[in-house]
Parts: sequence; C-alpha cells; structure tokens
Amino acid sequence: MSQFLAQPLGWGTGLIFALSAVVLLGVVLGFVTYAIYFERKVVGWVQFRHGPTRTGPLGLLQTVADVLKLLLKEDIIPALADKPLFVLAPLIAFVPSFAVLATLPFTESIHFADLGIGLLYYIAVSGITTLGSLCGAWAANNKYSIIGGMRAAAQMISYEIPLIMSLVGVILMTGSLNLIDIVNKQAEMGMWFFIPQILGFGIFIIASLAELSRTPFDIVEAESELVAGHMTEYSGFRYAFFMLAEYVYVFGMASITTLVFLGGWLPPFEFLGFIPGIVWFILKFSFMVFFYMWLRATFPRMRADQLMQLGWKVLLPLSLVNIFVTALLKELL
Amino acid sequence: MSGQFVAFFILSLLTIGGAVFMISLQKVVHQVVALAFSFLSIAGLYVMLEAEFVAVTQVLVYAGSISILMLFGIMLTRHDAHEDTGRGKFKFLAFIVVAAFFVLVFMGIQTMNIEGTPANFSQQNNVLEIGKLMFSQYVIPFEIMSVLLLVALVGAIILAKREADDK
Repeated sequence: MSQFLAQPLGWGTGLIFALSAVVLLGVVLGFVTYAIYFERKVVGWVQFRHGPTRTGPLGLLQTVADVLKLLLKEDIIPALADKPLFVLAPLIAFVPSFAVLATLPFTESIHFADLGIGLLYYIAVSGITTLGSLCGAWAANNKYSIIGGMRAAAQMISYEIPLIMSLVGVILMTGSLNLIDIVNKQAEMGMWFFIPQILGFGIFIIASLAELSRTPFDIVEAESELVAGHMTEYSGFRYAFFMLAEYVYVFGMASITTLVFLGGWLPPFEFLGFIPGIVWFILKFSFMVFFYMWLRATFPRMRADQLMQLGWKVLLPLSLVNIFVTALLKELL
Repeated sequence: MSGQFVAFFILSLLTIGGAVFMISLQKVVHQVVALAFSFLSIAGLYVMLEAEFVAVTQVLVYAGSISILMLFGIMLTRHDAHEDTGRGKFKFLAFIVVAAFFVLVFMGIQTMNIEGTPANFSQQNNVLEIGKLMFSQYVIPFEIMSVLLLVALVGAIILAKREADDK
C-alpha cells in the first residue's frame, strides 16, 4: 500500500486516493454504528438489563434507526444563539477526529500516510476538537453549555500534558515517532511496550480516558448536573456530528493504544503467527473498546476539582519519573 | 500550474484571510476562531516546506492550546461580547500608511536574495535531525530558552500569588 500511495498525484490517482479515504470513512461509520449498539448491550449486560432488542434481529438496527431519526429531525437554532459559530462548531469538532485517522497503520501493509511524526500528529490534531466544543458551548448561549465547555477545555489542557509525557518513554526506547517503527521495535524486543513501560501505560490509559471524556472523567457532559454539557442546545444532525466525533475518537484512541502499547498487529506468541496481522489488530482493538465500556458501566464520575488534582499532582510527576527512569535504564543497560 | 502552487495559494489565502477577519470581526470569540484558522493554515504551509515537526508543533501549541486558552480567558473574564472601537477618524491616513508599507515590503520581497544553498532534509528523518542539531550545535540557546521559560513560569506564579494575597 505504501507503493500505491507513493504514485504521483494526477487526476486518476487523486480520485483513487479520495475513494480510499471514503472507504475508510465508511469503515469508521460502520464501527461507530455498532460501537454504540455494543456499548448499550455491554452496559445493559453489566446492569442486568437487555439493552436494545426490538429494532431488527437482536436490536441490531437500533442505532441505524436512531441516526435516521437524528438526521430527519428539525434543525433548531436557538434565537439567542450566535448563529455562524453555532453552525461552524460541530464541523470544527468533527473534521479533526477524522483527520487523525490518516496516520494509523492497521497492519504493516494496510496503512495510509506513513508519517515520520505519526504519534505527535495524532495528539496535536485531536486537540482542535476541544476548540469546536468550546465554540459550540459559547455559541449556544446557555449556562450549562458554558460550564460544560469550560470543563472540556480545562480537562483537555490538563490531561494532554501527561498523555504526551507518558508516550515519551516509548519514544525514547524506539528512537522514532513513526507508528510503524514503534510496532517493529516491539517485534524486535520480543515483548510489547506495556511490560517495560508499565507506568507509562497506566498514565496513558488514565489520560486517554480523560481526553476521550469517558467515565470516570465524563464531567464535561455530566448529564445529571449539566444536561449534556456543550451539546445541550444542539439537536438533529449537528448533535449527530458531535456524537460522531466522540465515537471516532474512541476508534482512534483504541487504535493508538493497541499500536503503541499492545503490539499492534503482532501475534502474542510466535507459533500463532499464521493468523493474519489484521485479525490480531482487530482483537486487541476490540478489547480496548470493550475496556472503555466496561469502565463506563462500573465506575462513578469524578468531581471536577479531584480531576484537576489527579492530572497535575499525580499523573504529571509520575510521567516525569517515568521519563527519567526510562532514560536512565536506556543509558545503563 | 502544479498542485503545490494551488495548495500554496489556498493556504496563504486562508492565512491572510484569517488574519484579516481577526481584525475586522466584531465579537471577540469570532476573532479567536479566525485566528485559529490562520494558525492552522500556517501549519499547512510548514507541511508544504516539508517541516512536518514544526507544523505539528504549530498545531499542538498555537491552534490547539493557545487558541483554547484565549477563549477560556475571554469566557471567564469578559461579559460583553462586543467591543466598540473608535473608527473612521484617520481612515484615509491609515490607508496611506498601510499602502506605503505594503509597497515597501513587496519591493523588498521582490529583490530579496537568500545566500547559500538550501538545506537538503527531505529524505532524512526530520525529528532526528532537529534533535541532533538542538543538542549539539544549538545546545546553549536551547538551554537559555528553557531557563527563560522557567523564569516566566515562576514570575507568573508570583504575580498570581500576590493578587491572591491582596484579596
């Protein structure tokens, strides 16, 4: 696929590139549809409920019906909202969520842009989404929205730092920011990065949950106190864009965790190598998605001030210690 | 006309357009969003120059964090979204000054001649090369920069603490 992508850009190849991006978008939309269904089923299972059962066999068409409802709904813009920003905000939130997927390698051969700085690109571009939710919050002219937007911004800025810092250990050991190089390094070492970088892995999981604003860090849209945070005044397809961005990030973050800490497409044991890499990737990826939903069903929500304390007073020093120890071990061993 | 030219044209239009809107828009929040677009387009220009690391840092620091911090600050402090500025008094004079400045800059760019050969880095690992240079040739400026940042950090904390003590 890298040779295929290295072709000179003309009208024909440009069309093919655009089509392959559309295929990825289709895959991601399919994932989002069934991730929502899966989430409702898993949470239902944990809480001794059935989850959706009525629409289609086993409720499989529930999300399709929900999305159809959202798209057909009347487009409501509140009278006192800031109209241009209100319209623009869902787009600012969604576009980066899809743009980050460009650098993710799914196997050694199935990947799009093989960027030298893939890991950093993901984190940098995903930060723009917060700008979208903050703009949406302000434009809606609603106090719950504003509080939600404020929390989103504070949370994103505080947790982006430990998120990057926890990855520095892996980058030090690999000597590269390229995601394919990182997976190849794990193949070379014979173990996945979550073993030598166990501290970094823990910090990364906690910080990534906060970046995704999922339980226990979903105070951004804590429905019992803030209705729906920055999405309170949104309905119809604009609301769908925000939701879509959120679930596309679940896709992205689960992929990044799989690639960086769980060995990407590598099989767990040598003798299982006959199973194609994409299967291993999907298995690990699905485990991560299940993990997010599992946490959602079992953990209570954190308070806003506890969240800030955890970010600045616990995760940041720990990630600095992790960098220091990794650098020391790399020099001594 | 190459694709690169088209990309450059669009990106520079967005950069300048974002800056112009930043000045001409009335609401403070709109201005920050326009500025964020300008920042993002500058990152695009860096990508065109094959300086990917600089581009990503631009997105991470300016488009991501700085814009959000600005919005955050505006929302926490200002309650009136509009700001009325005295306009129109010196419109003609301002136009003359700006036009003269534009002509000067344009002439300067037209006659500019950069000495030396351009660096060849397109086949190399961008981040690795920057790291090597930063910790060998430019290590002293790099360390001085970090001390400067530390001083700014300590200064900010002291200022904030003094204000808290006054209350």
